[in-house]
Amino acid sequence: MGEYGEVGRTLLLGLLIGVVPLVLPLLISPRYKGAETSKTYECGIDTVGSAWSRFGLGYTLFALVFVAFEVDLLYLFPVALVLRAHHWAGVAWVALFLAILSLALVFVWRKGVFTWTLGTVAPPPPKMDSPRAS
Amino acid sequence: MSAALHPASAPALAQALSTPHSLPHTAADLVAQPWLASLLGVGAIMAFLTLNVLFLIWAERKVSAWIQRRMGPTEVGPYGLFQTLADMLKLISKQLITPSHVDRPLYLLAPLVVFAPVVVAVSLFPFAPGLAVTDVDLGLLLVFAFAGLGIIGIFMAGWGSNNKYALLGAMRSVAQNVSYEIPLILSALAVVLLASHPEGVTLEAGTPSAHTVPLLGTSLAHITLAQEAQGYWFVLVQPVAFVIYFVAALAETNRAPFDIPEAESELVAGFHTEYSGMRFAMFFFAEYTNMLVVSMVATVLFLGGWDGPLLPGPVWFFLKTYTLLFGMIWVRWTWPRLRFDQLMRLCWGLLVPVAILNLLGAAVLAEVL
Repeated sequence: MGEYGEVGRTLLLGLLIGVVPLVLPLLISPRYKGAETSKTYECGIDTVGSAWSRFGLGYTLFALVFVAFEVDLLYLFPVALVLRAHHWAGVAWVALFLAILSLALVFVWRKGVFTWTLGTVAPPPPKMDSPRAS
Repeated sequence: MSAALHPASAPALAQALSTPHSLPHTAADLVAQPWLASLLGVGAIMAFLTLNVLFLIWAERKVSAWIQRRMGPTEVGPYGLFQTLADMLKLISKQLITPSHVDRPLYLLAPLVVFAPVVVAVSLFPFAPGLAVTDVDLGLLLVFAFAGLGIIGIFMAGWGSNNKYALLGAMRSVAQNVSYEIPLILSALAVVLLASHPEGVTLEAGTPSAHTVPLLGTSLAHITLAQEAQGYWFVLVQPVAFVIYFVAALAETNRAPFDIPEAESELVAGFHTEYSGMRFAMFFFAEYTNMLVVSMVATVLFLGGWDGPLLPGPVWFFLKTYTLLFGMIWVRWTWPRLRFDQLMRLCWGLLVPVAILNLLGAAVLAEVL
């Protein structure tokens, strides 16, 4: 257990050391403040709206699939550690587990999660008659 | 278990050095010493990581220059070696601009959340028998866990910046990082499986100090020992896993051809668009340290870690690591960027199925060998 305490200490010290380069510039860097200094960076154009708006759902699906697969892979670590002790029976279990995992992959694939369509973000705006055409 | 294998681990050594026997052992001493040992370890890691980043950025600029028939940095120091140092000094003296519309807690904490876990990840590696800051049985899992923590920091930066470029970059980065984590871990699992010997293997066979120990495939030191004991590296029996690992590692580090999270021609700088000065430098630091971490994992898993003839362990370890890093730089400057859907199809349609089959093959191989 002591070894894992060491990992925790390293993380804490890493956080503490990380504060230094973030504070140091505050002491020596200039503090200019103009009208546009703290504007959102958008190549000089005024920002339209906030970035915190509705967003494509496509990314969420990847996160969900990831969680499912990652947990399954974590189950495989203890199996991998003792596989040799179980000989061919162990191989058969791993094969069964991987077969079910592959079925999940096929299922998600057939659901179309990995087909990236631009239409998933929002329906296209309704067509409006342009004043010139009328 | 691992302490028995490596009595002279670095923290133990540091602890021994920091304990003058004339002083009384009070309760305060006992509490203070592990911290002192950790501080020494983290200090050593930080010194190494800083040098590594300074060198890697210089190497990246030089290699890219050679590939594009340019000179690269030449002015500061011999062969421009101190160019990155000069750049770093410039970054320290730059003003830290906090845009007015950001989510302040998320925005300010993000560089730290990206930075601290990579320090821990590096502290887990054994550079030679017994030479590791922290040697734990679950080293490999912890490296993956801490390397994965950085994704949270990236998303904090992208969301907290309240900038469309940053948000898009962060979304892409998270989707890409979590997707490629699957083939990465699947290929690593194949090695864990082959390196595990619950019934024990004979180390240093043929010498008077020959002894039999059970090996845990999740311990970075044990994976190396397994390769030493069997006399060949895992890349020879797991070449497919090695290729999958390398491709996935390129994606995990957001590097070309998988650099769409910060595709500069589309997204300015991706998730760190709104960061300037040292805050930006922290992301840069973490990015290059991540390259080092994935290369060190590949060195341990597939190339035998410190194992090699004649030269001392750490020399072999870093020779292999920096060869892989050169490969990563080479790929970046020769291959064009993928589109997002191509990236995802490569991962889920090719790498994951092949990695699953390969893992099954590794299970069979573990029985046959």
